[in-house]
Amino acid sequence: MSEDSRPAAEGDGPGAADASEPAPTVRLPSVAGPDPADTAPGGPDEPSGGERGSGGEPGGGEPSGALRYAPAADEPGSFRAKRFWSSRRVPAAITAAITFGLAGLFLYDVASVRSGREGMHWRRKLADELATRHLDDVWVILGAAVCAALGLWLLVLALTPGERQVLPMARRGPEGVRAGLDRHAAELVLRDRAMEVSGIRWARVVVGRRRVRAKVASHFRDLDDVRRDVSAALDDAVGQLGLAKAPSLRVHVQRAEKKA
Amino acid sequence: MRTTVNRVLLALIGLVLLALGVSVLIGSLDLQRHWGFTMPSSWPFSGPKDVLLSAHDRTRYRHDDWWWPVVIAALGVLFVAALWWLLAQARTRRLRQVVVDSGDGQGALLRGRALESVLTSESEAYEGVGWAGAALVGRRGVPRARLVLGLAPHATPADVVTALDSSVLERARTSAGFAALPAEARLRAVRHRARRVT
Repeated sequence: MSEDSRPAAEGDGPGAADASEPAPTVRLPSVAGPDPADTAPGGPDEPSGGERGSGGEPGGGEPSGALRYAPAADEPGSFRAKRFWSSRRVPAAITAAITFGLAGLFLYDVASVRSGREGMHWRRKLADELATRHLDDVWVILGAAVCAALGLWLLVLALTPGERQVLPMARRGPEGVRAGLDRHAAELVLRDRAMEVSGIRWARVVVGRRRVRAKVASHFRDLDDVRRDVSAALDDAVGQLGLAKAPSLRVHVQRAEKKA
Repeated sequence: MRTTVNRVLLALIGLVLLALGVSVLIGSLDLQRHWGFTMPSSWPFSGPKDVLLSAHDRTRYRHDDWWWPVVIAALGVLFVAALWWLLAQARTRRLRQVVVDSGDGQGALLRGRALESVLTSESEAYEGVGWAGAALVGRRGVPRARLVLGLAPHATPADVVTALDSSVLERARTSAGFAALPAEARLRAVRHRARRVT
């Protein structure tokens, strides 16, 4: 009994969730700050100045409009937490090994020819092929295409940050330790929090780099109640992940299958 | 440091491979004629009936005195550089010793491993950290800490990081007398099954 057809209610905060207006998929921009005072409604970092920013929250406790963790001015976290850059060890090691092998092979062969021995068969064959195959030969075209693609791939590896598994966390504490949270770890934390809500049979959480999707199945209780509780719990938990850029949250609740 | 070297070398090799592949393709597919542009006359691959490396080009410098020494030296340099690059991936250079300002003008040396094990055990003692690993990198006067923490099932990542900075790293800073100890932490998960409450 999945309820995908009903429209999502806008601005359904955890404190302001209304049971009379159920939303199957609730999008909640969530708080990442540890202290609600840091992310006070109407603050300068508030990207959506809508109804939530006006401070008219009936729940009053949780301002859920701030998308970014806004640290206090004296905290070192006030500069932007940057992404982690991979050191590209594996591609570097593979490239280095291939270069090493090729250079060693040619060095050996050139040196052995210089000292009066016969050159290896493959080198004569290679020179012969290079001198006789025309450029429109299919193997030459294929080789050139592979070569260009490999070059492009190496360039991409060199210029992009990588480490997509690591979500940068807001820098907090006296020195602002630079921390990164593995997406898998975030998934486990959020899944555990969702499982704490009563009435949940199973929960699956997928943490993307910008979005958190949670899918839970409930075997008793009203689905709307479950959805509200799960949304509130996950909203809270996403805040406690302490990410530099809080991801948006989507919760999908469905009725668990009856056990056979 | 290693990151920069790796990325610069990868970019250079990628650029060379890309340029080589594209220039051969321009000749192979006769793009100069199809797309109506001309390359300079010294362009090596003029058309589809050209070859990659003719026998004449290959043996052009063979009878010069400098040719073979230069070829062998270039290959040798490439060989050694590639070996160095490969070995540089194998290990992370850890700090063996850290200079501690003891206040009497003498200074003291602290073994890096000792500080690493303190960081590890103090992090592991903290609530919510399942296991920890620490490495000191950087230079002797200006160390940096790299930590990997395994999050226990009940952990709150934000609290763990705050505690790491305000207690574990702060204690390391004050006890070793560092002006600053920049730290990088990776938070990983300790695998566990989901548990239902009701």
